[in-house]
Order: sequence, then C-alpha cells, then structure tokens
Amino acid sequence: MSTIVTPMAHPPLRNPWVMLGKGFLMALLVSAGVLVLYPLIWMALGGFKSNSQIFSDPFALPNRWSFDNYVAAWNLGVRNFLFSSLLVTVVSTITTVFISAWTAYGLTRTKMFGKPVIVGFVLGGMMLSPTVALVPLVQMMQSLGLYNTHWALIILYTAFRVPFTTFLIRAYMLDLPRDLDEAAMIDGASEGQIFRKVMLPLCRSIIVSCIILHILFAWNEYLFAMIFTNQIDVQTLPVGLTSLMAKHGTNYAEVFAAMTISALPIVIIFFFTQRYFIRGLTEGIGK
Amino acid sequence: MVGVILNQVRKNYGNMEVLHGIDLEIKSGEFIAFVGPSGCGKSTLLRSIAGLEDISSGELYIDDQFMNYVPPSRRGIAMVFQSYALYPHMTVFENMAFGMRIAKINKTEINRRVRQAADILQLTDYLSRYPKALSGGQRQRVAIGRAIVRDPKVFLFDEPLSNLDAALRVATRIEIAKLKQSMPDTTMIYVTHDQVEAMTLADRIVVLRGGHIEQIGTPLDLYRRPANLFVARFIGSPAMNIVPGTVETGGEGMTVRLASGQSIEIAARLEALPKDAPVQLGVRPEDLVLVKDPGLFTGRIALIEQLGEVQMVYVEVDGIETPIIAKLPGTEILHVGETIALGTDPQRIHLFDSEGQSLR
Repeated sequence: MSTIVTPMAHPPLRNPWVMLGKGFLMALLVSAGVLVLYPLIWMALGGFKSNSQIFSDPFALPNRWSFDNYVAAWNLGVRNFLFSSLLVTVVSTITTVFISAWTAYGLTRTKMFGKPVIVGFVLGGMMLSPTVALVPLVQMMQSLGLYNTHWALIILYTAFRVPFTTFLIRAYMLDLPRDLDEAAMIDGASEGQIFRKVMLPLCRSIIVSCIILHILFAWNEYLFAMIFTNQIDVQTLPVGLTSLMAKHGTNYAEVFAAMTISALPIVIIFFFTQRYFIRGLTEGIGK
Repeated sequence: MVGVILNQVRKNYGNMEVLHGIDLEIKSGEFIAFVGPSGCGKSTLLRSIAGLEDISSGELYIDDQFMNYVPPSRRGIAMVFQSYALYPHMTVFENMAFGMRIAKINKTEINRRVRQAADILQLTDYLSRYPKALSGGQRQRVAIGRAIVRDPKVFLFDEPLSNLDAALRVATRIEIAKLKQSMPDTTMIYVTHDQVEAMTLADRIVVLRGGHIEQIGTPLDLYRRPANLFVARFIGSPAMNIVPGTVETGGEGMTVRLASGQSIEIAARLEALPKDAPVQLGVRPEDLVLVKDPGLFTGRIALIEQLGEVQMVYVEVDGIETPIIAKLPGTEILHVGETIALGTDPQRIHLFDSEGQSLR
C-alpha cells in the first residue's frame, strides 16, 4: 500500500466579496424558508386563538395556549376524515407501488410479444385526464356498488397512479445491469425470488420516492374524493375540511386547528424521508 | 468421459443467424477457451451452454444429459461474468451463500462451503464487506467464489479479466490456472478475445469467426499448424506476415514466386496446384532472422520498436504492400532507413491457397 501525502488544506481566504456573497445567499435562503413556513406556523397558531382574536389581532401570539379548538375540530369529524385519509392513502400506496414495481419488472425483464405497444399502453395512462373520465367512472362505481365507499377511492387512486409510478420504476430498472438477474437465475432463483431478493432491494430508493409521491397525491386529492364520497364517515380530509368550513364558516379557529391536524402527518413523513426521496428521484431520472 | 457435447447448435435472433451449426465435444475436466474477435458468437455460445440464451436448433448435452430445455440452475454449471455481477446489497458472505439459501441448504453446510471457498480465494477477512468496499480483483475473486460453492460440473467464464488492469490481469490469470489444478474434474469453458489468456490457460482452444468454428486444437497446434489464414493471423503476437505469391513450379521441391519478385523453394506438397496458381505465404515475425544474402525479404527498415529483450523491426519490401514485421534479438544494432535482408527456415513457412485454407 502506498501512502498518499495530502497537503494541508489552506484556510478559506476571507475575501470581503465572498463573505458578502455568502451573506446574501444565506439571507435569500432564510427568506425563502420563512416564506414557506410562516403561513403554516400562522395556521397552527390560529388554532390556539379564539375566533374573535383571529380577526382583531391576526398576527399576535395566542392569548392563551389551549387545545380546545383542536379537540373541538377532532370531534367535529376530523377524526373520521383522518381515519378515511389514512386508510385510503395506506392501502392505495401499497397497491400502487406493488403493482407498478411488478409491471416495471415485467416490462424491463421479460420477453413478450409486442412489448413496445404494451409499454405505450401502460405509460399512455399518464395522458388520461381524470376530469374527462369522471362521468363513466361514476356510473361504473355506482353499478359496482362501490360508490361512496373507501374502495372507490382506493381503486381510482391506484388506477390513475400506476402509469406514472411504473414509469419511474421502469426508468430505474432499465439502468440496473441484466447480469444480476442472470447471476440470480443461475443461482436457482425463480422470477419471484429475483424480483423480491434482487430487484426490489436494488430499487429501494426509487420505491421510497414513489411511496412518498403517492402519499402526497392520495392525501391531498380533492376531485375524486369530492365526487365519489358524500358521507362524513367516508370522506377524506380535503373534502371533509371544506364541509367543515361551510358549516362553521364563522369559526376559523376550529378550521385552522383541523387544517393543522391534516397537514401534520405529511410534514412528519417528508421530514423523515426527504433524503431518500430526493436521492431516488435524481438517481432515477437524472442519469 | 464426455463433459459437454454440442451437436449442430444454431442460434437465431429473428432472421439473423449468429451461430451456424456448432459441433463440439468437450471432455470432462478439460479447460477450453473460446476465442475470436468481437461479434464472432463466442459469448452467445457460452450463454447458450449456460441456458441464458435458448438454442434455436441442435442439441446440447452436459454430462450425457440432454440440456436444451433445462433451466440454468439445474444444468450443473456456474458462471463468472465480465462485470462480476455481484449483488450490491449483499455482503461477500451473502453473495456466495445466495444460491445455497435459495436451494434451502442447511446453515452449517452453507457456512462450511463459503468459508472453504473464501479460504481458497483469500477472502476470509472480507466476508462481511459489501462489494462496493472491494477492489476489482477482490470482486472478481468473490464472483469466482460464488461459482465454486455451487460445486459445478462445468465452470463458465465470460471474459472474466477484461475489467482488470494489466498487472492484476496477470495475477488473476495465474489464480485461475491454480484453481483449475485444484479442480481437475471440473470442466472449464473460458471466453476471451485475448489470445494470451487462451494460450496460457487452455488445454484446447476453439477459434470462432462469424458464428463458425475456424479451428479446434491445442495452443501449440494452432500456433504451429493454423488451418487457415484467419487462425494464422489471430494466434501469435505480432501477427503472422502474409505475403501474396504464385506457384512457379509444382510437384516435389516446388517454388513460389513472391509479389516482391523473390522466389523460394518450399518443402510442401503442392501437386494439386497448377503453375501460376495464387497462394499466400505466411511467416511468423519470430521465425525471421537477419541474413547476409538476399534471403526471403530484402528491404528498408521503416520503424523499430525496441522492447529490450527483443525488437520489432518493420521492413518495407518493394512489391509488398504491408511492412514485414521481424522479431529480432534486442542486441542487434539496427537503424531506421538501413537496408536489411531477412531469411527463415523453409520448414517454418506456412502456405495457404487462394481461399485461405492451409496447404500444409
């Protein structure tokens, strides 16, 4: 082994222009951060105020810190909305990512007749506008007896997100060397085992990205949720929150509290997974 | 006993045939090298034996069993890939154990076999590392280890050394030679485009071109008695000098007139060839020596590559298009521009007909 002698790094020169530039950059980033975060903090704080204080003194801190508004919002239906949102999001995430990963594996790793056509067909699903499909979808869901159920949303979210998710995972899998599958094949692994034990672990970062993207989508989706559900125990948060506003238009404190509760899970998830999220996306598409 | 038999093996991609009826018998325990330029079908042939490619027609037997439709994992083979193909998310141990875990072999046995292979390949200290923390040579050894633990009847290598640097390539080549000695009953098939690897490792070499076998033989056979111009040019470095000529007089002790105007008497049976028939005459650079009289080639030195022990001397001869290359002792004092005469032992001259087939 040879020893490599590295020269001592020089301390950075304290050039005033460089310092100034860095200062500006810092200021810019801090302003951007404040711009994004302040409305959220304002909303959360609003949940602690009384309705009158929100209008009389909108930018002050709450007079007293009480969770009354949060408890009230929770009991007004946010509990049901949150449960519906969680259920629809979790189940549709699992189905979407699982179906997409299998599809991507099939589209990149198997010989099949007319594959380009099938790829075009699957990925072409991205072009389909949900608005255009609404009327037939409503009819279909009604005749299937799924209208106004969680299943309607789970099925629709899965169907509309599989093309895009497949597109992301497929792009990633195309870059993975074929030798690995062949080595696994010689090692005696079945297709299922190659998928589970070799491909999925290698696709981990793109799969995490897809999971987060899908959660963001499903958690915030409004159009389908509004059309396909109409009862408090089936509605998800975005639709539920608007009904809250309509009924209690005057009590903004409770609405703020409800909105804070609905935003919190996404913020927490993104906070813990952002590293994977960004890596997966840049690795998958950037290459 | 026969290890691998290929009988009229063909492979098509759509309308394009890339293997045109390969016939080959590989003895059990033999080390065979497939060589040829890129695109000659050597890798396709190996992958067909491995089962990674379907055979379009023909028959493949391994250990006397018909193998055309048997999946790769049940052919009793193991393969070492050019890219190593190690699973990046598994440690060295897990990489080697993967196949056995799939086969549900018990843990103590897996442990024993992996440790034994690691011992042979000096990988014991690296078992808990991930492939990305290994050097190229170590990765290649892991790939070989993964093949060893399968205890294969046939060991397949697909250009295993081409991703290594020159020094490591020589070292790993020696390791593979040692590995072969320690596994005398295992048949090994080795694909390479490097004739040095083929010459040094193989018991027999199969030279392929355009999906056909050009010649099968021991390394020395191919070197001494190439069946055609292609093999003559492919084996040996620098390549054999090929000079066009015509038959001057046929029969015993016939002579050939070279394009340079020089005539040479050759101890070959040329009775089949009429007078004035075109032929190609081949002389290896290492068979040429400096002579006083006109000899075989007389010309001006265009370039000298001095390697110390030997020097490659490029000689321009009137009437011959490409320079004649001679491998002369490094101690000869020669200069560019100087006129020299080169001769050879007539026994060492190769003669090919107009189709490129050897005449002796």
